[in-house]
Amino acid sequence: MSETQKRTATDPEPPRARFELEDTGFNEVPKKYRKFYRRWSGEKDELAPNEVLCPVCKVVIRSSRELREGDRVYCMPCMSRLVVGRGQGGGLEATVRY
Amino acid sequence: MSDAKRRPPHDTIRPELHDLDKSAFLEEVHSFEFWFQAVEGYLAETTYGHDPEMAEDPLSDEDRERLIGVLCNYCAGESAALETAAGLVSLAPNRMTKVFLSTQVADEGRHLEVFLHRLGELGVENPESEVAKRASPSMLAFKDKLAELVAGRDWASALFAQNVALESLEFVVFGRHAKTADRVTAQILERVVKDERRHMGFGENELGRYLRDTPDSRSRIHDLRVELDHLVDATLADTVRHLGLPADDQKELGRMYRESIERLGLLG
Amino acid sequence: MADFLNAYSIQNWLESCPQAYLEDTVFGHSSDEHEPDLIMENEVLRHDAIRTTVALVVGERCALAASSGLINAAPDEGSKRFLATQTLDEARHVEVFTQRLYDLGVAKEDLESVIAQHANPNLVKFAELLLEKVDKRDFLAGVVGQNIVLEGMAFSVFEMMHVMNAAMNPKFAHTLQGTIADERRHVGFGENRIGSLVRDNPARKPEIEKMQKEMSYWMLATFSQAFRDTSAVDELERIGQERTHSNYQGADLGKLSTNEMEALLGDTVLKEFKVRLGRIGLDYQSPDRP
Repeated sequence: MSETQKRTATDPEPPRARFELEDTGFNEVPKKYRKFYRRWSGEKDELAPNEVLCPVCKVVIRSSRELREGDRVYCMPCMSRLVVGRGQGGGLEATVRY
Repeated sequence: MSDAKRRPPHDTIRPELHDLDKSAFLEEVHSFEFWFQAVEGYLAETTYGHDPEMAEDPLSDEDRERLIGVLCNYCAGESAALETAAGLVSLAPNRMTKVFLSTQVADEGRHLEVFLHRLGELGVENPESEVAKRASPSMLAFKDKLAELVAGRDWASALFAQNVALESLEFVVFGRHAKTADRVTAQILERVVKDERRHMGFGENELGRYLRDTPDSRSRIHDLRVELDHLVDATLADTVRHLGLPADDQKELGRMYRESIERLGLLG
Repeated sequence: MADFLNAYSIQNWLESCPQAYLEDTVFGHSSDEHEPDLIMENEVLRHDAIRTTVALVVGERCALAASSGLINAAPDEGSKRFLATQTLDEARHVEVFTQRLYDLGVAKEDLESVIAQHANPNLVKFAELLLEKVDKRDFLAGVVGQNIVLEGMAFSVFEMMHVMNAAMNPKFAHTLQGTIADERRHVGFGENRIGSLVRDNPARKPEIEKMQKEMSYWMLATFSQAFRDTSAVDELERIGQERTHSNYQGADLGKLSTNEMEALLGDTVLKEFKVRLGRIGLDYQSPDRP
């Protein structure tokens, strides 16, 4: 993972990891938003703690902070609003909120 | 007057995109500006959807014929999508959705154009008449159904048929085809899929909000879905046959297609 | 026809707009350009700018509805694809002029009420005449109404506004410059595509000429009310701000009264109509004067 991780004292307990996002070459949204997304490479693609897969368009959504259940994220490539939850396998999963 | 009022920040880069207010997010993603800067990322330096310098892979006569047949069907689908998206502009309930659908109209026009152009590159002398000859009956029936829904000025039904059913179908089919296509066709398809991502996402989210706000309409859209199922299945079967894919692929593509239907609660 | 339509392809649109005059713009202008303090700090001028911009939004909403509606009436794929780019252009115009309303201080939640309050009723009549043809899927009348009459009017109005704003409001002038570049394609398509259709359908001429006459009437009525309602000239005089001496059609706009400006604009558009309609085989009909 290319991001630098750091802890901040102001986060609620337990503190969330912070991530400095870099452009991953995802080119389907305007430049200023590109770092918030990356391509998904299939079932074996391991998601980082700040990432969740969009179930609508199969793009990986990224945040500058560790994601937790209840967080709201946006998928710009397919215009979806999503809420992060816990999937059956224990990993984070996003659900569309219309 | 406050300075903020006088100087709206057009290009503010937010530290965390996901903190955006919901209405600000919707305003942003439905705008021409968003579309404009998004397509710039993958259409710059392309001509008719692909790198103009890219060399053609050698194609056998059989593969070429098969590809022409598939592309003719794609053209029929894109022509239907162009006309339906244009019709949806006048049915759309507000400025944001009208502007978004206008970007979709241009996308669909581009898809039709790049596929017709590809037919020309493959040696088809009159691509439009070839499309008329070769388009599958199921796709043409789909086109007629879309026209009927637009003429009936039924926003939710037309949106479902176009942006959920047809777009999801195209999204999975084009994505699958891009994996096995020759390099030039693959480049074209990959870029079309990037557009389809916006269209089907718009359809699912817009319809999801509509169904939430007007629960009485759910049974009507459900009935339409049932009515369209056989057209979707027939179109998938035609495509799988044209592409020469194994029969199992049809099931897998059908499963992917039904994911969005399921999320909308319209399955069953 | 196929060769002519190649010039109106989406590929051509991509090379002309995103990769040319719209490159590096935000809402049609540079991101570092803003509405001038002269407008933002003077309530009369700001209000006048809002009223003028509302007219542009209303006109562009009509153009958006018409161009998207005409796609389904178009007799060939090439025309459908060109109209797809025009639909997108018109949506962009709606967006950039709506954004200007926000820039001028209109709150997002007040947008529709501000538009309803300031919409010129004559312009609404003008739009209704056109959209009636589009609703009937009348391609010939629709394209003449949209791409010759509406676009011809917009072309001249934008040019005049561009000249007036070039020195005083570069941000708005740049936005207008991009829309003028778009309108050039639209009027070009209208003339080139419709000529052969008029030739093939001579029996339709009287009805289409009647539409042109009626639309021209409502256009003149729109200009009349717009110039009657403007308070910018008086306000600039009141605050001692000299008007910009810009040249439009050989006249110094800084010296003309509002009545003279209205007459100049009306005559310019009608002259253009006459020339354009003549080229496509239609006889220009002089409208009644409102």
